[in-house]
Amino acid sequence: MSITQGPLKPQFTGARVTRLEDARLLRGRGRYLDDIDVPGTLHVAFVRSNRPAARIVSIDVEGALAVPGVHAVWTAEDCGITLYTERYDVGQPVLAKDEVRFVGEAVAAVFAEDRYVAEDAAERVRVVYDALPPVLTFDEALSEEGRRVHAHRANLFHHTEHETDGFAGAFANAPHRAQATFVTHRQTGVPMEPRGCMAQLDAATGRLTVYVSHQSPHQFRSQLTRLLQMPENQIRVVVPEVGGAFGIKAMLYPEYLVVADAARRLGRPVKWVSDRTESLLADAHARDNRHEVEVAFDDEGRILAVRDHVFGDTGAYPFLGFPGAVGEAGWATSMLTGPYKIPHVSITVDCVFSNKAPEGAYRGVGGPVGAQVQEGIIDLVARRLGKDVADVRRINFIRDEDFPYQTATGNVYDPGSYAESMEQALALIDYERFRREQAELRRQGRYLGIGICTFVEPSAGAESEAGSTPYEAASLRIEPTGTVTAALGLGPSGQGHETTMAQLIADQLGVDIKDVVVIHGDTDSAPFGGGTGGSRSGTIGGGAALRASQEMRQRLIKLAAHLLEAAEEDVELVDGHAQVKGVPARAYSVRDLARIAYTDVARLPEGMQPGLEVVVRYQPPLSATYSNGTHVALVEVDVKTGFVRVLDYVVVNDCGRLINPMIVEGQIHGGVAQGIGSAFLEELRYDDSGQLVTTSLMDYLLPAATDVPRMRVTHIETPSANVGGFKGMGEGSLIAAPPALAGAVSDALAPFGVFVTEIPVHPRQILEWVQGGVHSA
Amino acid sequence: MKPVSFSYYRPNSVAEALHILAQEEEAKVIAGGQSLVPLMNFRLSRPKTLVDINGLRELAAVEADGKVLRIGALVRHQELLAHPLVVKHFPALAAAAAEIGHWAIRTRGTIGGSLVHADPAAELPAAMVAHRGVLVLTSARGERRVDADAFFYGYLMTDIAPDELLTAVELPLPSGVRYGFAEHARRPGDFALAGAFVEVAETGHAGAVTWFGVGGRPDRQEMELSPDASSRERQFAAALAEMDGPEDEVEARYRRQLAAAAAEQAYQRATASGRGN
Amino acid sequence: MQSVSESAVAGRPKTSVTLVVNGQRHTLEVEPRWLLSDVLRHQLGLTGTHVGCEQGVCGSCTVLVDGQPQRSCLMFAVQAEGHEITTVEGLTPEQGLSPLQAAFERHHALQCGFCTPGMIVTAEALLRENPNPDEETIREVLSGNLCRCTGYQSIVAAVQDAARVLREGGAVDTEVAAQGQNEAAGGEQA
Repeated sequence: MSITQGPLKPQFTGARVTRLEDARLLRGRGRYLDDIDVPGTLHVAFVRSNRPAARIVSIDVEGALAVPGVHAVWTAEDCGITLYTERYDVGQPVLAKDEVRFVGEAVAAVFAEDRYVAEDAAERVRVVYDALPPVLTFDEALSEEGRRVHAHRANLFHHTEHETDGFAGAFANAPHRAQATFVTHRQTGVPMEPRGCMAQLDAATGRLTVYVSHQSPHQFRSQLTRLLQMPENQIRVVVPEVGGAFGIKAMLYPEYLVVADAARRLGRPVKWVSDRTESLLADAHARDNRHEVEVAFDDEGRILAVRDHVFGDTGAYPFLGFPGAVGEAGWATSMLTGPYKIPHVSITVDCVFSNKAPEGAYRGVGGPVGAQVQEGIIDLVARRLGKDVADVRRINFIRDEDFPYQTATGNVYDPGSYAESMEQALALIDYERFRREQAELRRQGRYLGIGICTFVEPSAGAESEAGSTPYEAASLRIEPTGTVTAALGLGPSGQGHETTMAQLIADQLGVDIKDVVVIHGDTDSAPFGGGTGGSRSGTIGGGAALRASQEMRQRLIKLAAHLLEAAEEDVELVDGHAQVKGVPARAYSVRDLARIAYTDVARLPEGMQPGLEVVVRYQPPLSATYSNGTHVALVEVDVKTGFVRVLDYVVVNDCGRLINPMIVEGQIHGGVAQGIGSAFLEELRYDDSGQLVTTSLMDYLLPAATDVPRMRVTHIETPSANVGGFKGMGEGSLIAAPPALAGAVSDALAPFGVFVTEIPVHPRQILEWVQGGVHSA
Repeated sequence: MKPVSFSYYRPNSVAEALHILAQEEEAKVIAGGQSLVPLMNFRLSRPKTLVDINGLRELAAVEADGKVLRIGALVRHQELLAHPLVVKHFPALAAAAAEIGHWAIRTRGTIGGSLVHADPAAELPAAMVAHRGVLVLTSARGERRVDADAFFYGYLMTDIAPDELLTAVELPLPSGVRYGFAEHARRPGDFALAGAFVEVAETGHAGAVTWFGVGGRPDRQEMELSPDASSRERQFAAALAEMDGPEDEVEARYRRQLAAAAAEQAYQRATASGRGN
Repeated sequence: MQSVSESAVAGRPKTSVTLVVNGQRHTLEVEPRWLLSDVLRHQLGLTGTHVGCEQGVCGSCTVLVDGQPQRSCLMFAVQAEGHEITTVEGLTPEQGLSPLQAAFERHHALQCGFCTPGMIVTAEALLRENPNPDEETIREVLSGNLCRCTGYQSIVAAVQDAARVLREGGAVDTEVAAQGQNEAAGGEQA
């Protein structure tokens, strides 16, 4: 496709444009899922298993049905839909059938006039269980004596091995070897808005409208189509305002099928909104993996080979299309070498089922875990050799001249700024001065440390938790009065797509951003697309918006050239007008062009269709583009209490061309905060009997304003080969922050021999280390 | 997370409240509700009747009579921490009140509610024990006064009877002693993991430490407090070693260490300024 | 003494309650157990007040009760009788944005927007009490409102900037607004 670019001067792209979304949200007028109130709605409360593993002997719903205001109570007998994954031959009944496999699994659904009554009745559903011994750890799942979570198949459901040619020799002949086991415990996304779903049948047309707080409207519709066995054009999926998603809202959850099925069979609108306890029990969990790592290196600290044996626990069932442990291990091991030239790897992955909640996506997926290994081994090598951690990074970095660089794990990196980002970050934090101060403060009994993470973030990939749609679509029309409406298949949850997409479109069309409306989330209006996940929206969605508006621009110019009797090359789009270059007097406004295109069609050039409407799908030329950057965390550890305080935090980020630096920085700030949670606060803990003990936000601790430092962020722009030069960046900050913070604690407590390999790091653990002497990998 | 049904009463006088408490089975008093309502939302607390005392302004006063400071049960944490009489006579109590929850919790939560709830990690029960407060319990049967030390039994358990209303606490105005307070919580606003009030005589070394967050109830121990920091450290450790802690040994050890660190800070505050914070 | 009528649905009697919300008087039939958050949202349609946990932790449901920030999920609607309730809608001018809301927009102090009304309500109450809060005070006060998107940095900056604007009589100094952005961009060197 050849498109005349013209002397396009971006006015909005790259600028700190305030968001078009904000006014409604600030005024309290955003419409989130639970804000949709339709008269006659039945509200759902789920009866959830309080056993990690048990046979269901009987379910008595009579008491629940007797509660005034209860309309129906369903069990698996009433709704037999199963979320079946053929690859592993495992299905999750949307309401547990015969057996429960984790605490929190939905067993029955109560439909009532309001949620209070539904919960009253849910308490009166009597479930008799016959307990089974739960499988709660990797080791139990893998042991010979371990019970099978799914009787018909082994707990080990995913096993892969990958070894580079020559690994054995490189590993055996290396001058030094070290080993460490890295663990990240179970964590989850915790969007402030809990999940929810509402469905309503249109009696006139028989169409089912399903409102859902979700990241991928079209993927969700495809899944509903298949599972409800309804034609695609009979289902409309509407994603309203989404109050945070972070990957967990990319999954298909059993509750949604129950709600959708009930709406069509009970003949009433049906709504379910997760409460926070349900969220912690049954939102997609993440992490919960162990990496047993050995690293081989030379005297200079050059890493020669890495061996990693990964154990992942996916919980009781695989999410459709995204068994979390496989995704986690896949990303972690694929990105294991990070920004470093590590020629040899040997990787073994074992993923198991257990009697814990199913794992799915959480921002960064295995990225933070892989980065923890990647940076952990660098820090370990530095410590073994008595070298500076920055120097060991310098000696291992992939250099500019190495791009495109193929990693030992098979990725091809497009150009980035690995070494440069670290040097800039170290300068920002004044690394040399810190080292001097650190030594002095230690003499005073104060323990400060710095941790570094130079991350590489694969983005805009062909596959992600948002599914395997390698393109994104934009439909764009200029209305007869000249305003612009764009529709995309994205599923934003705070990323500001209505603004960033409008920035790109407005610049191409030479109109004001306020004249561009971006709609999304409604499968009746948005073209089929992949949705939001895997840091794809800005890059692939932005590419689609750019391409669509370029095509539209071309049509405007063609039309204007015809009307102005000028050559197309001589026409430019400026300030809402198409004009002969340099001659503002010879111009048509976009508004006039639109009017002509729709209502004065006799004036159109021969062959031009009436109207101004295009649909474009954009598929990037690369299977992925790699963002990068460096995070440096400065922490102080109080050795009397074990508390860690983050004193300073700098980020040098490179996500290619920036559409809106303000939004990019917001993404980074949020990811670092989640990283602080991941490193120090957040853990979904199961006790020895398989009960989740962190079922409230008093137990699952999120970072508050007092836990997060003021961060400093700067940018490098190494463009990608994608249209616009963008790279995705939604996850890099949560990928980089946990290793940087863990490394900072290791550095602070180096005098005690502490080397952190397990997160979150608990204060009491720190005191045990400090008082118990050496804890060294 | 929605509570079960209950009958709701909003009495206009203490007498009315006591009458309802005497008449109704499984009635529960609600003041600020900042501990009770979460438990009701979880359906862990399921009162059949809720007696809302928020309208009883007679329970909302703070007054001193030259011997004791009397704090009405309905005084909110945000009022307590800033009240001139509290700040003047009980600076450690004011400092402790400032550590309770977050602003939006402190504006509604009450001293009475906190004491009756008796969370072992809460500041105010420990403050009452530390200051040798007396709780005034009233019922249709009459009024009785209970020493704070005797009021708290253990985790969420107290001496209050189902028909009784905590109307006030009385704290003897301190003379010749100073108090300091410190606690360690994971995040500001969280329940403390452990904390301590330290009482020191203005002359000599006599003193006391009231621990909380370690055992199931606040625990006051009198001790001669050494002026030497490392001796005090040993004293605190020895005192804590005698207490029952959480079952988990690592956790128990950790709580004791935090408590000891808090006690040292509290001691510093008590001796430095006498201002308690 | 007020008690409930026993006339309504068996086992779930309703009571009449008069609430003053954002200056408007509403008389409603409610069950005593209905949380204020639910009544505001689903009886009065004031859906700007959000419910994020019902555990009293997240702060999304924060409203002003007689001018003081309180959790509407930890209060029954019946208890609100006789008190002035203010929600985010009540802090929003008919047209445009309040100075605090405008500062949130300038500083990109919101992403998904779910915690935002609770933040606005809490910060508004803070600025009424303390027109010139320092960063530590702002962070301490906002620590009762969880945000999962922003890392709080821009929220703190917005509250500081709004405080300045309000102190200076409502004029927005674009230079300072831009400075806030530079700061985010790393303009402030340690």
